[in-house]
Amino acid sequence: MRAAVIGFGAVGRRVARALAGDDRFESVTVVHRDPSRVAETVAAWPGPVQVRRGVPGDPVAADVTVVSVPAAARRSVTAALDHGSHVICPLDDPVDVRMLLDLDPRARSRRRSLVLGTAMAPGLSCVLAARMRGFFDRVDEVHVASLGTGGPVCARRHHAALAGISVDWVDGAWRRRAGGSGRELVWFPEPVGGADCYRAALADPVLLQPAFPGCRRITARLEATRRDRLTSWLPMLRPPHPEGLVGAVRVEMRGWLDDRAETRILGVACPPAVAAAAVSAEAARWAVTDRLARTGAGGMAEMVGDPGAFLKELAVAGVTVSAFQGSLG
Amino acid sequence: MKALRHSLIALGATVIIAGIVRLRGSGGTPPQRGGWRELPPEELG
Repeated sequence: MRAAVIGFGAVGRRVARALAGDDRFESVTVVHRDPSRVAETVAAWPGPVQVRRGVPGDPVAADVTVVSVPAAARRSVTAALDHGSHVICPLDDPVDVRMLLDLDPRARSRRRSLVLGTAMAPGLSCVLAARMRGFFDRVDEVHVASLGTGGPVCARRHHAALAGISVDWVDGAWRRRAGGSGRELVWFPEPVGGADCYRAALADPVLLQPAFPGCRRITARLEATRRDRLTSWLPMLRPPHPEGLVGAVRVEMRGWLDDRAETRILGVACPPAVAAAAVSAEAARWAVTDRLARTGAGGMAEMVGDPGAFLKELAVAGVTVSAFQGSLG
Repeated sequence: MKALRHSLIALGATVIIAGIVRLRGSGGTPPQRGGWRELPPEELG
């Protein structure tokens, strides 16, 4: 099997490294506009890694393609699907995600899977939600909260998300609210602990709603400091850090089990780029081994039919799931 | 002139109060009991 990774940022680099170390892949091709910046890093890796000069949209012969850069994502995804490749997209901008969901008929007609939002949130959040679905007879509410950023692109997205419009699913309709509103104190797994989270332009509800069609409320919030909120409408005042090393995601699900109301909470504390890369690499492995639930475009909650098995394999990569047990009151 | 000055003061006060309310929020309640427990692989499947 052959894999291609477009982009070599905090997530793309880790995905390429993970796939290069996997014996099932006979080749991993990294596509970058400046191969000299990549070649030195990959030279030390085990496994057959090739570096190719290219820009988004250039065709690459591969069984699975990971598109890890938001620039011209639609062009990259379309080119990969047209060349018969499954596509994994760890992108988290709801505008990108909605645009790529429109490629569902194209992916289905080529009998390929286009897995969207394979990052920490969305991505790991969707797998946690899918895992918790089995605990309930009926799911009423799903609430996602996340903390931290991966590389510089992710940090810029975090900044823009707070100034954007949050779109939540409430009582059968999309509800638009201002980003930066709706403060909520969220308790993440240790060592992260408590943090204030706010509405923001996030893609989790967009990807979770088709997987939970009867659900009454699906919301997503993002951790932010007061400075983040105060400056969200300005350009970033200083360049983002190379990579955020603290991150967490938490999914709270409310529903009914044996005619009684039930709440379950799962979370993960992990650097966001590590989580995003582990989810994307695992999704790529599942795609090429025909373990995904269906072809076409969708989020992880729809595409991963056995979320327990998926989480077990993430645990091997160091992404450990925790459950909150106790009272919220 | 006086009306203009009053409206500017009112506008300024509104902006300051809105800023304080937006940044301060309404608080929250941390969990009172319980905590996080790492799930072993056999509990994930």
